[in-house]
Amino acid sequence: MNHLLKPLPFVCLLLLAGCATTPANVAGAGTQLEMRQIQTREYDTLDRAMTMRSVIATLQDLGFTIDQADAELGTVTATRLHAHTMRMTVTVVKKDGQRIAVRANARIGENSVTDAATYQDFFVALDKAMFLTLHKVD
Amino acid sequence: MIRLVPAALLVAMLGGCAASIPEPALRLPESTLDVRSIQTRSLAAPSEIDILTATIAVLQDMEFNVERIEKPLGVITASKITDADSRSEKTGLFFLDLLCAVGGGGGCDALSTAQDDQHITLTMVVLPSLAHSGEYTARITIQRVIYDKMDRIKVLERIDDAETYQQIFDNLQKSLFIQVGAK
Repeated sequence: MNHLLKPLPFVCLLLLAGCATTPANVAGAGTQLEMRQIQTREYDTLDRAMTMRSVIATLQDLGFTIDQADAELGTVTATRLHAHTMRMTVTVVKKDGQRIAVRANARIGENSVTDAATYQDFFVALDKAMFLTLHKVD
Repeated sequence: MIRLVPAALLVAMLGGCAASIPEPALRLPESTLDVRSIQTRSLAAPSEIDILTATIAVLQDMEFNVERIEKPLGVITASKITDADSRSEKTGLFFLDLLCAVGGGGGCDALSTAQDDQHITLTMVVLPSLAHSGEYTARITIQRVIYDKMDRIKVLERIDDAETYQQIFDNLQKSLFIQVGAK
């Protein structure tokens, strides 16, 4: 029993060191391409204004208030105050002149959301809003 | 069994490093449609400028500061800081202190438990209706943070109270009437 527990303090120290973050974590930790794939969905439409309308409606459906929206740059920033403060930035850009790419990234408190299922949920909600907008339902 | 102890500790500690994301953080709740209908109204207006001007006037009436407007998207963001306690609540706490003092009790400081202030953020999205020409759809979302006397966050919440939204839409309807009548 004792010989098994002997290295434990060192292992604990090593793990705690792993938890420590550098003070200026500016660049983030995720792999760029992988995160982009998780955070992006493309739509077969060229109507950027309608897509932005759907993005704003989705964020409102999810309980966010819009902090800033820019039609020219296709960017929406929103905050949700709940048990956790969640902030999202969603960009809407034309891609290859044929499609619209929507990219969302979210943070909860001090942490980036990297979980694919969470973004999947967001795009499921956006799909519904896009459908309603397409069928002219307010 | 003995070998499992360090292993379990390792797993627990690694778990502690991971960011805790609430499971359905971006999943649409079942109440979405109900909340959407509370927050949304269709309004008839001669032009987009009329309805946006009337909306800004209502926000000013409600003592909000308009922070940002993005006209092409119909997004207006506004905020205000107010007292979180109603006047009656404060009066009640004052009389509680008074009764306590008259009764000769010590530590009569109920009034100091009054919440300090609340920061309210409001987004109003006003866009031409997709379903009916000549009409506009207005949707409001409101959130608030309540801070206590020590500036600690006490409450973080979205306002879902139907009466609050109805009152704002009633005011908007009146403001629109004044705006159109003044032209």
